[in-house]
Amino acid sequence: MDWLYKISTTCFAASYLVVFVAEVSRVFFQAAIRKYIRVGFAAAGLFAHTIYLFWQGKLELDATGIWLSSWSGWSLAAAWVLAMAYFWISLRQSKSVIGLFLLPVVLILIGVGVRLDGVGTFTVGRVKSIWNMVHGSTLLLGTAIVALGFVFGVVYLIQASRLKRKIVASKLFRLPSLEWLQRWSEVSLIASTLLLGGGLISGIALNLVNQAANHEVSTGTIAWSDPVVWSSGVLFFWLLAAALFNVFYRPARQGRKVAYLVMTSFLFLVLELGIVWWVGHAVDDPVSDIAKATVVDSSAMKIQLVERPLTEVRS
Amino acid sequence: MNLQVIGCSHHQSNVEVREQLAFTEHQVLPFLQLFRKRFPQSEAVLLSTCNRTELYAAAQKPDLIPSQQEMIEFLANERGLSISDINANLFAHSDRDAIEHLFSVAASLDSMVVGETQILSQVKRAYQLAVESNETIPLTHQVFQSAIRVARRVSNETNIHSNRVSVPSIAICVLAKQIFERLDNKKILIVGAGEMAEETLNYVRSEGGKDIWITNRTRSKAEELASKFNGQVSRWENLQHELATADLIVSTTGATEPVITGAMFDEVEKTRNQKPVFFLDLAIPRDVEAEIGERLNVYLYTLDDLQKECEKNRNSRQSQYPKAIKIIDQETDSFFAEVRRRSSGSTIVQLRQQADQAKTAELTRLMNRLDGLSDPHRAEIEQSFNRLVNKILHPPLKSLQDDSVNESSGLLDALKKLFQLGD
Repeated sequence: MDWLYKISTTCFAASYLVVFVAEVSRVFFQAAIRKYIRVGFAAAGLFAHTIYLFWQGKLELDATGIWLSSWSGWSLAAAWVLAMAYFWISLRQSKSVIGLFLLPVVLILIGVGVRLDGVGTFTVGRVKSIWNMVHGSTLLLGTAIVALGFVFGVVYLIQASRLKRKIVASKLFRLPSLEWLQRWSEVSLIASTLLLGGGLISGIALNLVNQAANHEVSTGTIAWSDPVVWSSGVLFFWLLAAALFNVFYRPARQGRKVAYLVMTSFLFLVLELGIVWWVGHAVDDPVSDIAKATVVDSSAMKIQLVERPLTEVRS
Repeated sequence: MNLQVIGCSHHQSNVEVREQLAFTEHQVLPFLQLFRKRFPQSEAVLLSTCNRTELYAAAQKPDLIPSQQEMIEFLANERGLSISDINANLFAHSDRDAIEHLFSVAASLDSMVVGETQILSQVKRAYQLAVESNETIPLTHQVFQSAIRVARRVSNETNIHSNRVSVPSIAICVLAKQIFERLDNKKILIVGAGEMAEETLNYVRSEGGKDIWITNRTRSKAEELASKFNGQVSRWENLQHELATADLIVSTTGATEPVITGAMFDEVEKTRNQKPVFFLDLAIPRDVEAEIGERLNVYLYTLDDLQKECEKNRNSRQSQYPKAIKIIDQETDSFFAEVRRRSSGSTIVQLRQQADQAKTAELTRLMNRLDGLSDPHRAEIEQSFNRLVNKILHPPLKSLQDDSVNESSGLLDALKKLFQLGD
């Protein structure tokens, strides 16, 4: 089973790339075998991706006390959620070319994961609590689902525009029905609101725990002046307003409005992630971390070298 | 294999003749039983659809199969027609032509709308009815199973079935499916109760549509159509109310002015909460005012919008025709090669049996004379006889097998005559 340790980002990125090329080729010609290529490579990519995240997560857990505690791991995990969504959609909506829109997001996230390799981990030297895990996982899932909703919204607008212009879909460029896209846009809006809300609340709880542990003067207060805190609050309240608008105002549930709501949510999310990145929220300096965190052994820090086979790290 | 087919189709017969020669499913079984009574050595299959009635007969030997004239007479008598009335409207094919014709029919190359898929199930049903009337039909079994396989091959290897060519089928099976994920939970409103409405409803039902409402100025027509499709009738005066709740609206009236106006839809929109609606205006002149199509979440398609797509799909099907014909030719060749192979196979078996019988008789006679021979010597002699027979038979049997792939059956016939073998 040594080969499992040799899985690198190249393995699953290449698999997804093959699936993406197969999706693009659907627009140009028909081929019965392509369905098997798409599903086969997507399954292989997901398998490799899962194994990679498992080992990566385990090493980060050993090093920092929590799973996927780096920007790199976080991006790769978000890509995994979207790749799973693609796999599910490709089975449920096998005739539609939604992969054309979804797979680039997956590939971009993998690219971001590789690019951010080496950037400091989130929580080295901080107090470890259950809130770390809740905060990280809800934000991760919420972000992935907002991105998924964004794809559904874009595809909805393309499909609606085609139908309005009376363009009968060719067999080579089929998209899911408006009804399906609308339903899943709504689901993604509500799910992302709940998850990002959970992320915000757990983040506040995490801060309070940290303040108490460090005996800070500001113990028991929420740092609203922190750009990350207020921007997260704004994002959450936007999502909450959009979800409530969607639930209680019936015309908002119909057609393009849902698409616009999920697309705006995505823009808010990008803005929020930009702020988090800009202020270096929750990221420790790797050099000082090594100096102060005695629990972290130096070999475990090598997990940041994403392209290096895991066997090397283990040895 | 001896096969004959006589019949009529939309190619050479008008609808009146086709109606006179058509059979309902209940009439097919008694007809086939009578045919069997009249021609007991022959197998028969009757294919009857709205566009064709075809009678296939097959027999093992040429003298056992009814002639084409006899088949025409039988069909005319059963339908109570005189031969002179229908003779000019009928076609007749034998053997290779008959097989080629059946393959083309099953693959929908002979249909009025080339590539329509219903014909294959009709061919299958015709064969099933033949089996019900007579359980032992090995010849027609071989022919019809091949026809079904050929139809599937044409379907898989060409795009002849892939694009829909009628306006209602494109509207319901392609367009409506791009707006709605499913039709079984949608309210479908049909405005008008003419032929187009009926054809559209066939597709609505096939796509799972259940909640069907029909409204028409003449209520009796709406009721008639509703009873056919298990739908409900709404009063014409309730049109505005029905528009407010429907998801898919098909309008096919013969009205000279639009029956669904912008002003009427203003009122409807207030209660719809911008719920998407698919308008299908299949009437000429149009029933739905064009400006309604500009409104939010309204998708309006007229006959003109869909005709272009139909034409494009028809041309696409025609482009696949030569490819499909090539498949039919190949399959007809391989069908007859298989028939010849089977036929030569039975001759080979007979020839071997004949040789074995002669060998066994001679061996018995020899063993009786050579009394006191040890067992190893007996076995040696027996082996020599076997080798001798095999060596003598090998060249002619090899030649026969090689010859079976060619169309001529000269060698097979010669061998049968030389060795006095049966059919």
